[in-house]
Amino acid sequence: MSAAVSQTPQHGGEPAPASKIKRTLLILLAVWIGGMVALFLIFGSGGRNNSYQPQNEFKLDNWVHLGIFSINKAVLYLFLAAIATCVSMIYIAARMHARPNKVQTAVEALYQLMRDNITGGNLDEKMAKRWFPFIGTLFLFIMFSNLVGYIPLPTNTEHKIDVLGLHIPSFSLYAATANLSIPLVLALLVFFSYTFEGIRAKGPIGYLKGLVPGGVTGGMAVAIFFLEVLSNFMRILSLTIRLFANILAGHLIILFMAGALAVILGVSALAWFTIPFGILLFAFEVGLVAALQAFIFATLTAIYLGGAVAEDH
Amino acid sequence: MHIAFITLLAAATEETAKAGKSIGLGVGGGLGAVGAGVGIGIIFGKAIEAITRQPEMRDEITQLQWLGFALTEACFFYGLVAGLLAAFIV
Repeated sequence: MSAAVSQTPQHGGEPAPASKIKRTLLILLAVWIGGMVALFLIFGSGGRNNSYQPQNEFKLDNWVHLGIFSINKAVLYLFLAAIATCVSMIYIAARMHARPNKVQTAVEALYQLMRDNITGGNLDEKMAKRWFPFIGTLFLFIMFSNLVGYIPLPTNTEHKIDVLGLHIPSFSLYAATANLSIPLVLALLVFFSYTFEGIRAKGPIGYLKGLVPGGVTGGMAVAIFFLEVLSNFMRILSLTIRLFANILAGHLIILFMAGALAVILGVSALAWFTIPFGILLFAFEVGLVAALQAFIFATLTAIYLGGAVAEDH
Repeated sequence: MHIAFITLLAAATEETAKAGKSIGLGVGGGLGAVGAGVGIGIIFGKAIEAITRQPEMRDEITQLQWLGFALTEACFFYGLVAGLLAAFIV
């Protein structure tokens, strides 16, 4: 349809809007490919660069030593996420207005999502009331620590840049959840919470009995019992890896698309070629993955909690 | 002659190990992406079918659809993590 419009300009003078958009897109495409060819002709290939180590972008250097503990990049991001969680709920909730502004509307929408969909949709009323603070905090904390990770912050102490004689660390992306230990701790917290809740509701024996679905008896019940115990431990692994690998893969692909590939291969024209993909993936990660992973983690927590206290499996 | 052959063999073994690691990463990432891609396609296809059949259930279906999407997508990352383990750690 748009092709037909652009082939037959109706009045000759002003082109139709569809063809205008098409022309702009064609110009952008020409600039993109032409720029890449021009850059390649000017700079050529510098050969493989072995001095740049992409894994160092995820290396954690100790900044402050505190005995067996230390403060590093991941701890800084954890603090930032914790502050964002507290501010978004406490500070804004203390200043509620009858006519909400944009920030308050967004916070209210988040609250409603947590209360009605994540908690209310998967737990009965009593359980939802008891566990809503835990699940809501998990959701907000994971979401903020994913989102803070996409803000470039001066945290890369390996490469420094000089500004007026000051050595400041260069800007880099990193997320606390892109480190295996933080999702693992959150998953363990969830595991102990629902096991504890199940034991409190049914007693230790009743909880273990409840793992086997009703109606299964004899040798089959024993086999299924071991399978269920195993799958309970696999939940820790799957919760951890889902969050960790999603965020790590997102950061890796943004890193490579935004220039690391060109640096490693020594072809600067490649950076010009990959940067649009980098921007698109960045938008995808910020817009969808960051909130979706938090949503999944919280929803699964609610489902596991509900399953632990359910009467029949 | 003998020494030269052993050196050659050692070099070849090293190259083979490298190739094996690359294959591990390729299979982990690539086949993981195939499976997860099929799964995500099925989820979105079924969600569209369900919404066209019952448009009034849209909100509930959308929520389930994103849950299914994220669970399926995670399978890709299991493959990728295994591939990365094979390539860089083992």
